[in-house]
Amino acid sequence: MNTKRKAATVAVAGTAAGALGLGLLAMPAGADSAPELPEIGAQQLVGSVLKTEPPAMSGTATVDNELGLPAMPGVPALDAQSARVYYDGDGKGRVAMEQQSSELTYVLGDKEFWSYDSAEGTATRTALPADARDKHRSAKAAGADPTRTAAQVVDRLEESSTVSVDGTARVAGRAAYELVLTPKPDERTLVREVRVAVDAEKRLPLRMSVLTHGTTDPAFEIGFSEIEFGPQPERLFEFSPPEGTKVTESEAGRPDGPRGESGEEPQFRVTGDGWDTVVLTRVPQEMRDRAQGEGADVEGMLDRFGKPVQGEFGSGHVIETRIGTALITEDGRLAAGAVPEQVLRQALENR
Amino acid sequence: MDVMTKPARRTAPASRLVRAELRWIFRRPRTLAVLGLLALIPVIMGIALTVADPTAASSGGPPGNDGGNLLPAAAASVLVLPIAALTMTLQMLLPLAAAMSGADALAGETSTGTLRGWLLAPVGRAKLLLVKALGVATFTLAAAAVIAATGILTALVINGDGTLSTLSGTTLSIPDAVGRVALAVGWVTLQLWAVGAIALAISAFTEHPMVVLASVLGGVIVFTVLGSLDALSWLHPFLLTEVWWSLVDVLRDPVPAADLIDGGLKAACYLAIGLSLAYARLVSKDG
Repeated sequence: MNTKRKAATVAVAGTAAGALGLGLLAMPAGADSAPELPEIGAQQLVGSVLKTEPPAMSGTATVDNELGLPAMPGVPALDAQSARVYYDGDGKGRVAMEQQSSELTYVLGDKEFWSYDSAEGTATRTALPADARDKHRSAKAAGADPTRTAAQVVDRLEESSTVSVDGTARVAGRAAYELVLTPKPDERTLVREVRVAVDAEKRLPLRMSVLTHGTTDPAFEIGFSEIEFGPQPERLFEFSPPEGTKVTESEAGRPDGPRGESGEEPQFRVTGDGWDTVVLTRVPQEMRDRAQGEGADVEGMLDRFGKPVQGEFGSGHVIETRIGTALITEDGRLAAGAVPEQVLRQALENR
Repeated sequence: MDVMTKPARRTAPASRLVRAELRWIFRRPRTLAVLGLLALIPVIMGIALTVADPTAASSGGPPGNDGGNLLPAAAASVLVLPIAALTMTLQMLLPLAAAMSGADALAGETSTGTLRGWLLAPVGRAKLLLVKALGVATFTLAAAAVIAATGILTALVINGDGTLSTLSGTTLSIPDAVGRVALAVGWVTLQLWAVGAIALAISAFTEHPMVVLASVLGGVIVFTVLGSLDALSWLHPFLLTEVWWSLVDVLRDPVPAADLIDGGLKAACYLAIGLSLAYARLVSKDG
């Protein structure tokens, strides 16, 4: 009897401890209550954000995407991406986008910008103009009076939105203010509000979420899941490609992404202002031809993801997500914005 | 008088028991056969990847789903090949080896009648479980270490001591790279201990080693299937198999420790559950 009871006790205690441990590990972090912070005005908060120089830090940023975007073949899904971010507080940084068993690394160093893809074993080097960082810094310095800039920014925003500080939140274990932009009622937009969590001490934006009508879960959220402030090792901001890497040189001045082959730059036109801004452009004929040439079934894809529409502008397809809508006409005109379909139709018709 | 009648020792020291158990394990032909087969895996991977056209390998398959991205790089590196081999075998073969060892430890001995000697001998049940658990632990460590060692050797033979580049594009020094492989071996061993502890628990309840093998293997498969169902995402943090992919993190620079630590703690939880159940069963087992 005694051993039976002993056996039962050990079994129950051990299993309970293990299960409890698993439960604790499974609990999502950041479930703590909102911190108590001194009150602050929206303008003051924006001012301090503009004034602050981002400090040296390392962290993990995640993107959470509930846009309702159709999954496209060949296009990597955006959701639940995470990236490790390192910043030395002085213009140099490293971003590592984690994929399951590979990594995309971007290193912004003193004189060059590197991107490295471990899956393909390729790297791209972009030499930065010698004065780029100085210019960047003096531009910061020239923004001299942050309070005045803040006032201008807030005034500008208030033409179309209500700007307020709405309580506090805990992001990546740090106390933060929630700055909220709510579109004015006469703005015709899909967005209900945009919330930016600003670190109470360092005044660094830690998280941005976009909320739409009808749900409480953000449609799009980007923010830090972990962050630590402090100096970073210098070697993180230098890069020398490993042996066997294909290195391509890219032209200076355009460090972001490959440049389109076409000489024809797409023309952008903007109608409306504030939240119901609509961007109108034309998909370059060349690009469409190339897509066709590569065997991509553009029409089929549009049929699958969009719904066909007709109107005074002609006919086309409309693709809807939770925070934005795009309308592509048969003749290659494209209108997009964080607006309902109706606004896009008007924008196309009024040209 | 007192000196003369020193009582005969009633219990054997644990170290001698462990040594006897280890000798017992590593003299079994099947133990050596399993270790030998596991040692072959990195060699096969290395040769296959060198022979295969590397450009075809890198463009094939959707990125980031099945560890396929790791493979093209694997043959090229003393660092990547052992880790890739460990990641691959951790999905099925290493848990199988751990389950085999756990099955032999109790159920196997019950079925041949040799466990009876243990139960009747003046050895505490806790000590018996400790000896058995250490036996499983040593075997799993040996299995992981063998894979890492032949992985390093294979890559050295194929490439010389060439490239030690991480997924982040940095190049490591040799001690650093060896440290990372050792870290991977340690982490994998901890995961295998968790599997082995569950195997021991099942092993204590049955006298058929096949039951242990089948249930552990079935468990791994069920966990993997559950892990691939998005609708059950609330369950995923509880599944041990879900953390096994984070082994790839040791190839990143700097190593993002969060997932590895999380996985280690989860393994410790499974270890606690398995060992306490095994102990409870052993204590109440009749000789």
